[in-house]
Amino acid sequence: MTAITLDANSKFSIFEGRTAHVRCWTYLGMMVGMAAMAMFAGDGYVEDSYIFQLFSLEGAKWMAGGGVVGMAYGFTTSKDKFRAFRFSEILVPWIDGAVLMIALMGLYTLFEPSQAMISYKDQSNLFSGRVVMTMNVMLLFSALCYVSYLFAPASFIGKLGTITAWIGVYAGGSALLLRWYESYLLMGGDIGHAPVSNLYEVFILLFCVICIVYLTLESRHQARALGAFVLPIVSAGVFFAIWLESIGQSDIKPLVPALQSYWMKIHVPLNFVGYGSFAVACAAGAAWLVRNKIEERNPNAAMLAVFPSLKQLDQLSYKAVAIGFPAFTLATILGAAWAAEAWGGYWSWDPKETWALIVWLVFGAYLHARFSHGLQGKILAWWAVLGFLVTIFCFVGVNMYLSGLHSYGQLT
Amino acid sequence: MSFINKTFKPILTRLGSMPVAILLLVLLAVASVIGTVLKQNQDQADYLHQFGPTWYWTFRSLGLFDMYHTWWFIAILALLMFSLAACLLRNVPRFIKEMKSRKGTLSDSARKHMEHKFDLNLDNKAKAIATIKASLPDWKWMETKVQQADGEVLWLRGDKGRFHKMGYIVVHTAMLIILIGGWMSVQFGFRGNMAVPENAKESEISFLKGTGIEYLKMPFEIRCDDFSVNFFSTGAPSEFRSTLTILEDGKEMMTSDIIVNEPLYYKGVRIYQASFGDGGSMVDLNLFRLTKKGNLDTVKGQIYTTFEDPYSDASLELKDFRPYNIENMAEAGKPKDFKDMGPSVDFVIRGKGLQPVLVRSFMEPFIIDDQNQGTIMMISKSGDTRDFESYSLGLDFSDPKEWQLFQAFVHRLPTDDKATQQDNLDAFRAALDEVYPDERPANLPMLGNRVIQALKVLPDMPWPFVPILKDYDQKYYTGLQVAKDPGMDVVWIGSGLLVFGLCIMFYVAHRKVWIKVSDVQDGVALQVTGLSNRNPIAFEQEFEDLEAQIKTAYEQRNEQGASI
Ligand code: HEM
Repeated sequence: MTAITLDANSKFSIFEGRTAHVRCWTYLGMMVGMAAMAMFAGDGYVEDSYIFQLFSLEGAKWMAGGGVVGMAYGFTTSKDKFRAFRFSEILVPWIDGAVLMIALMGLYTLFEPSQAMISYKDQSNLFSGRVVMTMNVMLLFSALCYVSYLFAPASFIGKLGTITAWIGVYAGGSALLLRWYESYLLMGGDIGHAPVSNLYEVFILLFCVICIVYLTLESRHQARALGAFVLPIVSAGVFFAIWLESIGQSDIKPLVPALQSYWMKIHVPLNFVGYGSFAVACAAGAAWLVRNKIEERNPNAAMLAVFPSLKQLDQLSYKAVAIGFPAFTLATILGAAWAAEAWGGYWSWDPKETWALIVWLVFGAYLHARFSHGLQGKILAWWAVLGFLVTIFCFVGVNMYLSGLHSYGQLT
Repeated sequence: MSFINKTFKPILTRLGSMPVAILLLVLLAVASVIGTVLKQNQDQADYLHQFGPTWYWTFRSLGLFDMYHTWWFIAILALLMFSLAACLLRNVPRFIKEMKSRKGTLSDSARKHMEHKFDLNLDNKAKAIATIKASLPDWKWMETKVQQADGEVLWLRGDKGRFHKMGYIVVHTAMLIILIGGWMSVQFGFRGNMAVPENAKESEISFLKGTGIEYLKMPFEIRCDDFSVNFFSTGAPSEFRSTLTILEDGKEMMTSDIIVNEPLYYKGVRIYQASFGDGGSMVDLNLFRLTKKGNLDTVKGQIYTTFEDPYSDASLELKDFRPYNIENMAEAGKPKDFKDMGPSVDFVIRGKGLQPVLVRSFMEPFIIDDQNQGTIMMISKSGDTRDFESYSLGLDFSDPKEWQLFQAFVHRLPTDDKATQQDNLDAFRAALDEVYPDERPANLPMLGNRVIQALKVLPDMPWPFVPILKDYDQKYYTGLQVAKDPGMDVVWIGSGLLVFGLCIMFYVAHRKVWIKVSDVQDGVALQVTGLSNRNPIAFEQEFEDLEAQIKTAYEQRNEQGASI
């Protein structure tokens, strides 16, 4: 045990130690450079042209400047304490991922059909559609692998599931970024906006978040069998999104004035961090229930070998809630802040708001049951599953069945 | 005092107990579900129609149509507030005491129940202690010496994340603050709507209270100096903007532009751009009389007023004016094809023997593929704009000559049954000669088609005239939301604390390590025990690492020591 732990620590990895530290500070420097450009550069921050500014020579200058300063800082501070790297080691894989997605998006723009072939009226030529299709295929395939893995625990097929899920995440994330860019190609740039404005777009975001939360937990806790519960949930969503597309809900549309706010870019994604985590908690709860059932029937079942233990599943479920609950709380608060700015009141008992409160209460009660009553196991597993059903209603059901101020998400 | 102690203490204890708290949370959740499923604050008649009298009265007496303001809903919130306060009163002193007092030793029986532990024998006491402390660098250490029969025993206790319990205090205090802020908003604030037509002033807001509407006068007046809307090419508004001036006692205090998401702030009151609509546009209508003479009158009207026709008993209640009507002409699933149908006016037409219907009358004819299809009109029998059906009137009413032509033609039409096609054609030619003596109109076949269509439709019209929009002078009103919310900042403070507290609660685990260091023959015996109140899996890892680290670090030091 000792040797293994230490070996793992001393093995060279680009996500650890000095490499990660310097890279992390370089990234942070570039971000500061971007922010500085927004504040001090010639035209300052203009919502609609900022994205393009970033990709111009001007943007490159500011970012490179910031990056160099950051890198210098990283080098000078990387000699002393080893522990200082923790922060970088946590942050760096995420930023790397984001950079890779942006790079992928840049690559896709080369495949974009000529301006003559795309128009607002017929958006079927946009390249993002194909990337989304790739994501769909990857996620469905991944679900298949994970489920097969339960029955044939050959490590290869499980790995394949993990890999395809990652590819799906990158396809989905970069497709969204591309869609953002594409929205500026339509109608002379009038309607450009972040791709978080309708049900179809946020579904893609949701798939990515669920997969990221799950894959992070998987890599930390060797809980690959959980994928057989997470990815099928995602697959159900994929079919729903395909249906949405088939009824013409996937078009990029102009934003109503109330949505034209930077708050949208913060509030919506953060909410989906909450929803996505609750989905993973639900999957872990379901896995707990299934394992429990199998153990009752046949404690020596072969399948149990690949399952995480009941205790681990219980913990994983809690962990997912522990990611989701604070994020969801923050998202709801920021939603209230936005409402205060757009509608004149931070709380209007609008159906969406109220259902967000209900979801929040359900998971708040979950936490009380867990920590103040010391509940564990079966009841909490069911709680996580039902909590996610409530979440689904908040997310899809409210849009489809209840009307209110939040009716932007409504199917038209 | 003892009375208070006797009566209130138990109530307070009960109220602050976990089951009551969970019950309140569940009640709140269930009530909220009802409030979203049952549409709030709709028209009472609609409710009656929807539920029937029995359920209507049941729901109504429970206040379910305006549930969030009923006494019982507010009571749940108030009880929750008391519950939180009671819970804090009870737990905070205990938690603070727990945080302060750290027990340096651990009894054997307690150790037996703990999950994370290992034993280790090392040879040098001082070095062993130094190594341990170096392995967990940012932990807080405390040493306790205990005299025992077989000599002195040293206890080391290490803590990390001791303020975890602060998370609980912060979270629950934050909830209390948010609820108090909400109460302040309701108690001392107001929120209502105001519609100000362009160039007019207004100082009163209206809002729903219970099932009725109430009004409140502001200490200032708001004048709308200008209002403008921009549209996307899909017809959806992209931005609306009002220029407002605040007046106090007739004096101009400030002028500012507002758009959605960018409100105006004046003396604690926020003024938001919420909506817009017709502010009483002036419209000119052409009334093409369907009586024998076929007169054409031009009348003036204003939106929100009713025009009474002096020559018949028909009246037009003018409802709305729209300068653009952008519609997607493509069939579902086909690429979109947006077309602006031009200005329109909505009115309800009434009269003796007439079914009142909502009508949208366009100013311009409907032109598709450069073919003039004549004027169309949208009619909704239910009075709801979603039920509009379009009717093609045949003639292009924007060109008065076509009406003349139609009249001339109708008068010449042979009335007896034996008339042939040729007779009809002759009548049409003669009508053309009368109305267009010098030059035939362009695209004559299309005009012929239109006249035939008109012949099919117009004689059957039940109305005494065809009202067509002729001209307009548009005026908007700007819909403002006016709110004062003294509780808002309190809510933000509470919210900030809430998130901060949750982060402590979730991401800071209180981890403890006890190490019993007892002297044995050739060195020291270490009994290490660990405990974490969160995240046992991660702690297990950490604890295993600790063992490995101590061992290797100790060996390394030994080697170093040997080489010196
Ligand atoms: C307004 C609604 C409330 C919310 C949103 C809320 C939220 C929370 C949250 C998020 C936790 C954290 C659970 C954890 O991770 O440890 C918690 C713990 C707790 N809550 Fe509440 N709470 C509420 C009301 C109450 C009330 C009224 C009581 C009084 C009985 C209470 C008593 C407790 C206790 C005793 C704990 C456990 C603290 C610990 O030992 O860690 N809560 N609460």
